[in-house]
Amino acid sequence: MPEWLKLGGIAIVVIGLALRLRTTLVVVTAAIFTGLAAGLPLFSNEGIFANLPQLPLLVREGQTGIINMLGKAFADTRFVTLFIITLPAVGLAERYGLQEQAAALIRRFRAATVGRLLIIYQLFRILHGMLGIRLNGHPAFVRPLVYPMSIGAAEANLGVKTAGAVPADAAERIKAADAASENYGNFYGQNLSPVQAGILLVYGVMRGLGFEIGVLDLVRYTTPIVAASVILGALQFYWLDRSLLSAAKRGADV
Amino acid sequence: MSSLVSHLLSLEAVYALVGTVLLVFAGLTFLDRRHSHRLGTGFFWLTFGVIFIFGGILPSWLTGLLVIAMVAIDGAGRVSRGSDDIRSTTPLQKGRRLGDRIFLPVLVIPIVTFATAAAFRLSGLDVSRGALVGLGFGSVAAMIVGLALTGGTVREMMQAGRRLNESMGAVNILPQLLASLGVIFTAAHVGDLIAGGIQQIVPDGNLFLLVLANCFGMALFTIVMGNSFAAFPVIATGVLVPLIIKPYGVNPAMAAILTLTAGSSGTLMTPMAANFNIVPAALLEMRDQYGVIKFQLPFALTIWSLHVVLMWLFIKFL
Repeated sequence: MPEWLKLGGIAIVVIGLALRLRTTLVVVTAAIFTGLAAGLPLFSNEGIFANLPQLPLLVREGQTGIINMLGKAFADTRFVTLFIITLPAVGLAERYGLQEQAAALIRRFRAATVGRLLIIYQLFRILHGMLGIRLNGHPAFVRPLVYPMSIGAAEANLGVKTAGAVPADAAERIKAADAASENYGNFYGQNLSPVQAGILLVYGVMRGLGFEIGVLDLVRYTTPIVAASVILGALQFYWLDRSLLSAAKRGADV
Repeated sequence: MSSLVSHLLSLEAVYALVGTVLLVFAGLTFLDRRHSHRLGTGFFWLTFGVIFIFGGILPSWLTGLLVIAMVAIDGAGRVSRGSDDIRSTTPLQKGRRLGDRIFLPVLVIPIVTFATAAAFRLSGLDVSRGALVGLGFGSVAAMIVGLALTGGTVREMMQAGRRLNESMGAVNILPQLLASLGVIFTAAHVGDLIAGGIQQIVPDGNLFLLVLANCFGMALFTIVMGNSFAAFPVIATGVLVPLIIKPYGVNPAMAAILTLTAGSSGTLMTPMAANFNIVPAALLEMRDQYGVIKFQLPFALTIWSLHVVLMWLFIKFL
């Protein structure tokens, strides 16, 4: 089989996502296609598949099967889905008015805007990175706290009195900005500590390639990019504030 | 005794807790008579719960087949949100009296997470595992605090959790599914193909174009893998070291860390990084599942360009 056929998996993902087909199905199809194109068997030659006749595609001596890899990687990465356990507590608190209270809290600060809130949140996440703490802030902070606070700030800024009265388009952009603030702070801030996974990965890989480098040098050379991420984030959040206001004014004129 | 403690503090214990929560969600779905896809949705979360609890001991081929079964249910359009509109019955009156105390349950989660991570560090254990275990126990603590504070029932709480989980839907398994795709890409040596392709296009001897190709390759492969950590070894081995660091005697620490974060620009742009871009859009109940990526795009392209310029300047003048 030609080598380039392996890239077919990438093509399946690109086309599948572009056509908005069901993502889970697209990903599994791409995985199986790529594996088969690389000449991998479907199953490992072990367990109940050990004594089968060696059918093509099904098993091959000494090679790990595609389905086995799929299952093992899926089980090994359960940690990325731990956030599900936060949902009952967050759901209960929201039922008893968490979002309304977070919005009320932020309205007590006269100077609060959506943009300023998100600049502070990004810095807060960079601080986590410096302290060597790595966590998924989307379920822990963004959904229960940052999002309702940013909507509350928008209500105050736009002069909307009742809760839930922020226009849907504005709310959609605020939500996107909330998630982006988390990602900006998390991605670039985490390299500021020498115990973080990214720094250790780079150290390990470069060492394997014959370069002994200091982890603190890695931290030093990432600081300009962290600074750039803060400035770019601040600019984008500042523009968000301005465009929310001007959109609200346009809306009021009509 | 110490082995009991180490079992309790293991990731498997937390996985069992998550799995149990998923089984409860599945049970509530089966009981939801007005659910439009009661059986499909119920079996989907039931299977996920089983994988969570037993993933460490099931043979990997069986886990793989269970995953394919889940994807088949979702592919047939049988996973949807439930009928219960809990919002319409929100006991807000009671919530008002709670005031700022309603923040307590959600603050318990990060506090316990950090405390556990710190305790793991002080005892010389793996801090990342401490944070994950802490998230699990912090969430259980948050449930207890929440119930005590609001006087709500366990069933009410689990229904609220199920509503959130079902409104996110099958997107929740994407991060794990994409990690599996990454493993298969690696086994198929897709990265070597990409690195080889870059080596062929780039003309030798033009430092700026080499830096550009290195940062482009890193971002591109991160977009494909959804993960800069998976892309880094491939690009470092195939492009950065043989084409830039060795021939030009470049500072390896500088070039390596800038290559890694050039990949982070790719992470901001790709739906393959589902846990950062797609799951949050679902978690915030956005209309457009690509809304987060669209917002991040101008930031990502700008900071990626800065990587190219910065690495080139560092090599030239350092």
